[in-house]
Amino acid sequence: MIEIQTPVSDEYISKLKIGDQIEISGIIYTGRDAVLPKLVKLCQENPKQVKINLEGGVIFHTAVSPAGIGPTSSNKIEIEGSIGPLSEKGIKIHLGKGALSIKTINILKKYNAIFAITPPVTALLTAKIITKEVVMFPEEGIEALHRLKVAAMPAIVAIAHGKSIFGESGDKSNG
Amino acid sequence: MDKIKIIDKVAQCLVEASTKFREDQVEKYKEAIAKEKNPEARWVLENILEDSRVAEAKKMPLCDDTGIPHVFVEFGEDIAINTEIETAIMEGVRVGLEQLPGRPMAVRGNEVERIEQSTGLYMESGALLPAPLIFKSFSGKGMQVTIMMLGGGPEIRSKTFRVFHKHDSKNVFIQIGEWAREVSAELGCTPCVPAIGIGRTHYEATVLMLEAMKDGSLDKQSEFEQMITAIVNEGKVGPLGLGGNFTALGSFIKIGPQRASGVRIACMRPGCCFDPRRATVLII
Repeated sequence: MIEIQTPVSDEYISKLKIGDQIEISGIIYTGRDAVLPKLVKLCQENPKQVKINLEGGVIFHTAVSPAGIGPTSSNKIEIEGSIGPLSEKGIKIHLGKGALSIKTINILKKYNAIFAITPPVTALLTAKIITKEVVMFPEEGIEALHRLKVAAMPAIVAIAHGKSIFGESGDKSNG
Repeated sequence: MDKIKIIDKVAQCLVEASTKFREDQVEKYKEAIAKEKNPEARWVLENILEDSRVAEAKKMPLCDDTGIPHVFVEFGEDIAINTEIETAIMEGVRVGLEQLPGRPMAVRGNEVERIEQSTGLYMESGALLPAPLIFKSFSGKGMQVTIMMLGGGPEIRSKTFRVFHKHDSKNVFIQIGEWAREVSAELGCTPCVPAIGIGRTHYEATVLMLEAMKDGSLDKQSEFEQMITAIVNEGKVGPLGLGGNFTALGSFIKIGPQRASGVRIACMRPGCCFDPRRATVLII
């Protein structure tokens, strides 16, 4: 088990490989279908209005509802499409579930970011939350961008450095 | 029958269905963990079992998609079903969703607005209506209420369609098993427990599927259920898509009356790693 404290450094990401079991502690952010395209747009068009520190950050693809938290499928277009632009802005760990495309595997490699997955174990994951608050897009309700402080949130590295645990490999010619 | 008692028991039943693994589920996960050689797959299975321990101890939902309540009411010889009983069951579901709390996912608006989801959601967990209730008699006393919580992942990958039997039941089971194997790769929430109903109409097949979920047990698997599970596991999708031998932990099948025809109508719901999320309460 590898313990990871946020924000995560480039050096630390370089050491991780697919199949590594990790536990994430510190500040992480949440976002899914509704919020991630909005966040990407804001980063590109009006970065001063982005109220969170993306550098070395973790984005968990989840809603935050009274029922708790749990990963949604990351290969939905709105979510997978955010992985490249947010990695470019400094996000180091995208946390969700499901296999991603070869294009995304290559993009993650380019920015030295990784994709980690966790089962939909809501009770277990929700018990790891120390504090939670809405920081952006409150109009989205349970899908708003939340800042969570977590302790030892379990995950497994699924895509790193051009390799995927789901079997696909990145094409080096596409960078 | 005491209205308050029905509300209270039904609410407790809904919370239990959403927060607790039954013994057959716990045992099946322990067995899979002991047999699974793939370390990543085993890690997923261990986390799901640990989730069930935390969920039960803290009375928290097993999954944040707390699902749509499906209620199966079996009434004994001494019970006369009336509107008061039905209203109390509905109120019990509402109270249970508030206590859980369920994910607030009831959609506001008129018919078109609900489809388009254009006027937002209700804030209250209890605003979520259950699917139409099913009533059936049983030989005994009292009223037995089973609540099943059906999550969205399996729903969008379920299928009700015709199958040609060609006078060999294996053809039907193999076809349904292949449907389940195909969608297991897209599911994300494996290992799954497919539930299957085989009947004469789409309505009947779907009710039979739900009845299979109500009665099925992972420690009592028929020859046909084992066949479906084996077909799904041949796909080697494994827990969370990470490979290994446990894409499905078991299957539940209910076979109803059949039509004089060359085809059967089969309903296949692939299920997820928490299925069936169900609990039963006997109200006397």
